[in-house]
Amino acid sequence: MIRARLGDWALALVVPLLLLVGYDLWARGAGDFFFPPLSVIGGNFADDWLFERVPTDLLPSLGRMLAGYAIAVVLGVAAGMLLGSLRTLATALDPVLQFLRALPPPALIPVSLLVFGAGDSAKVFLIALGALWPVLLNTVDGVRGVDQTAMDMARSYRIPTSARLLRVVLPAALPRIFAGARTALSIAIILMVVSELVGASNGVGHTVQLAQRGFNIPEMWAGTLLLGLVGFAFNALFVAVERRVLRWHHGSTGRGGAPTVRRSRLRRERPRPALTPTRTAVVLESADAGPATPDGRVPDARRP
Amino acid sequence: MLVVRDLSKTYALGGEPAMAGLDFTVGEREFVCIVGSSGCGKTTMLRCLSGLIPASEGSIELEGRAVQGPPEDMAYVFQDYSRSLLPWLTVAGNVSFPLKYKGLSKAEAAAATEQALAAVGLADRGNSYPWQLSGGMQQRVAIARALAYQPRILLMDEPFASVDAQTRAELEDLLLDIWRRFDITILFVTHDIDEAVYLSQRVLVLHKPAHVFESIEVDLPAERDQMETKKLPRFGELRTRVLASLRAPDTASA
Repeated sequence: MIRARLGDWALALVVPLLLLVGYDLWARGAGDFFFPPLSVIGGNFADDWLFERVPTDLLPSLGRMLAGYAIAVVLGVAAGMLLGSLRTLATALDPVLQFLRALPPPALIPVSLLVFGAGDSAKVFLIALGALWPVLLNTVDGVRGVDQTAMDMARSYRIPTSARLLRVVLPAALPRIFAGARTALSIAIILMVVSELVGASNGVGHTVQLAQRGFNIPEMWAGTLLLGLVGFAFNALFVAVERRVLRWHHGSTGRGGAPTVRRSRLRRERPRPALTPTRTAVVLESADAGPATPDGRVPDARRP
Repeated sequence: MLVVRDLSKTYALGGEPAMAGLDFTVGEREFVCIVGSSGCGKTTMLRCLSGLIPASEGSIELEGRAVQGPPEDMAYVFQDYSRSLLPWLTVAGNVSFPLKYKGLSKAEAAAATEQALAAVGLADRGNSYPWQLSGGMQQRVAIARALAYQPRILLMDEPFASVDAQTRAELEDLLLDIWRRFDITILFVTHDIDEAVYLSQRVLVLHKPAHVFESIEVDLPAERDQMETKKLPRFGELRTRVLASLRAPDTASA
């Protein structure tokens, strides 16, 4: 088994290595100013990012990104729990939320610069705003999909409302929350870079842009390479955390992978058919059928 | 003691009632089975009795107190064990989950959990997760959770409907054993006539909309055995009687 896994690793490394070698061979032959050989980019990468610019540019970038991401997750989960539990509130807020969600975050850069100035807050705001929606909408979906039987069980054992929310609804919604948080993470990284292209004085995105403007092409490529590596590393970290936290979910559904992300509107009129025969999907359906009757299922007696 | 008086439930205003004039009493330490054809309002009845939904009319009294929300002295065992158990908690975690909110200390909860798991024969599976267990074992966990809660009355909604026949027989005997050893009353809803007669002291036959059509005393020897009890001529007679009662045209409600 270990040998098989090593084999997988080796196989997964082959294509990236071939790409790098292929690029290097081509770049050396071509001698194109815009596409320097790998050794030149590598040298620049070592000069800049090992580790001279780490405290001055990388850390500020990551700090802003993580701050915005954290705000998005905390706010998104809290608001999502609320909206998921209170249907009336969700219906009332739906148009406003749909509008805000539809705004492309970069379009808010000018406004946020005016309101927050050119410092960190404008960038954190932008990242938080962009990363909020997948977390929020998935939390709402997750909360709505909590199994009626589990809720009945908690009520019949007189579990207080706060504990029902934190110890039944939240864990039950966690697979969906994680799916949203994963999408939000890539959005946060994208917006980290985007927010640094205007009105920034440090950051990886800022560095890349400066290098490009100064025709320092190897440095530009080195920064781009770093951004790719940062995204890759964060995603790997996220997957590791998710595997650990959602071990029970993967165990109980018999699936190894992460749950798929579904972006949906806050207000849904009719249950959607389950696309995959997973537990989550089935659960969502049964919960959606609920509001027709006070007890969340179609009473036997209605259908003779 | 559970006293149900003239209980009715109508979901939609002016709609057809799911339950109409349900009236019965379950004595201390009694084992009562309720049978009814599917769609006769059993689920509605159980949800009202357990305080999960309010009845439209009538009253429920448990140990002399009116049932308004889920009562402290009652535990509910759901049909769908895979959904009533929380997959992110271990077996022991599931069993002890309600105990903290009942006001038990950590040590008391741990002791009650251990005892309940031992009673259902799962003493060594406390650290497993529910989904690592077979269906029958999962329903044992749900029963252990109910026992650890130390209720006076156990409400069971077709608890053995989704396990195989062999496991079902085992669980039935386990339940009888628990009923004898613990000081509890059991109200057991099933659609299986054999199961109702085998388990109970009394069978209530429900007609639609949920009301008691007939109450049939099960005068079988107290000691039950899957092979011997079911061979008795009296077992066959009772079974036929319950079946006839289920199929009888409804005159009682008129």
